[in-house]
Amino acid sequence: MDSGVNKNWSSGDEKLLLDTIDHWVENEVKPIAREHDQEDKYPEELVERMKELGLFGSTISPEYGGLGLPASIYAKIVTRLSSVWIVPGGIFNTHLVMAAAIERCGMEAQKQEWLPKMASGELRGGIALTEPDAGTDLQSIRTRADRNEKGYLLNGTKMWITNALHGNCLMVLAKTDLTAQPAHKGMSAFLCHKGAGYDVAKKLKKMGYRAIDTCELTLDNKQVVPEALLGGEEGRGLQQVLGGLELGRINVAARGAGMAEGALKMAVRYAQERETFGKPIAEHQAIQLKLADMATKVEASKLLVESAATKLDTGQRCDMEAGMAKYFASEAGVYCAQEAMRIFGGNSYSTEYEIERFYRDSMLMCIGEGTNELQQIIVAKQLIQRNKI
Amino acid sequence: MQIIVPIKQVPDVALNIKVKDGEIVQEGISWVISSWDETALEAALQLTEEAGGEVTVLSIGTAKVQEALRKALALGAHQALHIQCDSSAGWDSYQVAKVLAKTLADQDYNLIITGKQAQDSDAGLTPTMLAEFLGLPQVTNITAFKDVSDASITLHRKGDDGIEISKMTLPGVVTVNDSLAEPRLASMRGIMMAKKKPMETVDIHSLGLAPEVLQSGGLMTEVVQYEKPDERKEGRRFEGDETETVPEVMQNLKKNIGLFA
Repeated sequence: MDSGVNKNWSSGDEKLLLDTIDHWVENEVKPIAREHDQEDKYPEELVERMKELGLFGSTISPEYGGLGLPASIYAKIVTRLSSVWIVPGGIFNTHLVMAAAIERCGMEAQKQEWLPKMASGELRGGIALTEPDAGTDLQSIRTRADRNEKGYLLNGTKMWITNALHGNCLMVLAKTDLTAQPAHKGMSAFLCHKGAGYDVAKKLKKMGYRAIDTCELTLDNKQVVPEALLGGEEGRGLQQVLGGLELGRINVAARGAGMAEGALKMAVRYAQERETFGKPIAEHQAIQLKLADMATKVEASKLLVESAATKLDTGQRCDMEAGMAKYFASEAGVYCAQEAMRIFGGNSYSTEYEIERFYRDSMLMCIGEGTNELQQIIVAKQLIQRNKI
Repeated sequence: MQIIVPIKQVPDVALNIKVKDGEIVQEGISWVISSWDETALEAALQLTEEAGGEVTVLSIGTAKVQEALRKALALGAHQALHIQCDSSAGWDSYQVAKVLAKTLADQDYNLIITGKQAQDSDAGLTPTMLAEFLGLPQVTNITAFKDVSDASITLHRKGDDGIEISKMTLPGVVTVNDSLAEPRLASMRGIMMAKKKPMETVDIHSLGLAPEVLQSGGLMTEVVQYEKPDERKEGRRFEGDETETVPEVMQNLKKNIGLFA
């Protein structure tokens, strides 16, 4: 990430960019979120607009056709967008995680081939890591890549893969050596286009985070060329994947902070509109206490995200900070959505109001991109390591 | 085709603007390009995208107006001209038109396009005066352009009784109605590219204007004070069976507003 950051973004540029995002979110994202969520319908029209805006190249270096946005600005975009709907951000977040892996670990020819097309949105990708029996414990994956005369033959099943249906490429983690010890030394990452052997078994039905394609993917004798091996060297796949986790976690943290902020905004408005016992419920202390807690968590979340992103942008170690941000902000998203539900009272349970969507969507942020329990362990381990006696 | 688009930076009227002691409270104001001028810029960009040429945006004010010019560049304008002054607050349309006319007197262009009025003052006088000072033809409140060439243009104007179609020789001045085009959003790439586009700054005192034009003596009109419009009262909702609500609505209209009395 740091090598590709365009350091020429001024505060004026940042304001202009965020104003553009705010305008887009308010006028084009907000009006369609509920309908697409309820019908579980992919927001095709937003994808085209995201291409025009340049979002698919947000963090890709300018030399490969992207904008090279620093993580701190990128996180603000994600937060603003997620304060209304988390789905559009999901479409380009995972795409950019794949692009970041290529830029960080790929050979120059791979960067030249993939990144300009990814920056324009012509190629839209994601990462295929999780399997039915392997999520956080990635070394247990069963997908295999067997060498043959044409390159590698991929076989296996991947689960919870975003962009598998509507995107057109993926980075797939597979085992090139089933006997390697430790197992990660036998794992490699492959850049795959859609095509023969790439079968979307089904689009998964979900409680929340609907409208985006989260799929079960079957790789059935999927042939890839030798140049598909990321970095051109076997056995480095897990390392390549884990190397981008901080940015991924900052992304998820930004989404959690955005959801928390969105829920808070709705609650603040509703509390002033809704009257009980002859006055707006915002004047009842029970509601005020909730709003105060929500607002404090929103502010703290945004500051944690900014702190982690700034460290990443300046090349400092930030695994603990990204873990803290992801853990706290995602929990804040759930907390604020729940509290907003209570403030909305009976209306919260109606699909006529947006808050129930936030309630359904928010829990994903605690589970995805490494569970929050894992984040706590990362934070604790780093805390001890940095403060050894 | 060379097009000049004068733009005005105005307070964002979508936000709550506060008035105290007859003055607008400056604190907390967010400044944006006047929406009609954004439509004018969009029209200019579409014209040059179709017929070729370049768009120059122009604004008068302190260094702050460079934010508006930078946004215009991000939207697609090719270059910007900033007429720098200490403050243009309190200027009337006459003064602004004088400065614009002096600035544009020796420039090459085919068309000047502006919003039909500014979002803050709503006067709608500057473009007309500008055309007069430059000795150019003008057509106002345009909803569409047709048959564009460097020498002439066909314009659809929204008049009192419908659409008036006229042909204007160029150079000339037109003002646009906001139904002409939906302003585009600045893409992130556009924002990045805007840095590389030229923005020239000219000191207003170097234009050679008569000194009185820039002083309070140059005012033809003066805003004495500002007042907030009355708060709009909350509407009343009539709910229930229409056989009961309709008579109730009628009764209220008669009693409270004097309708059907």
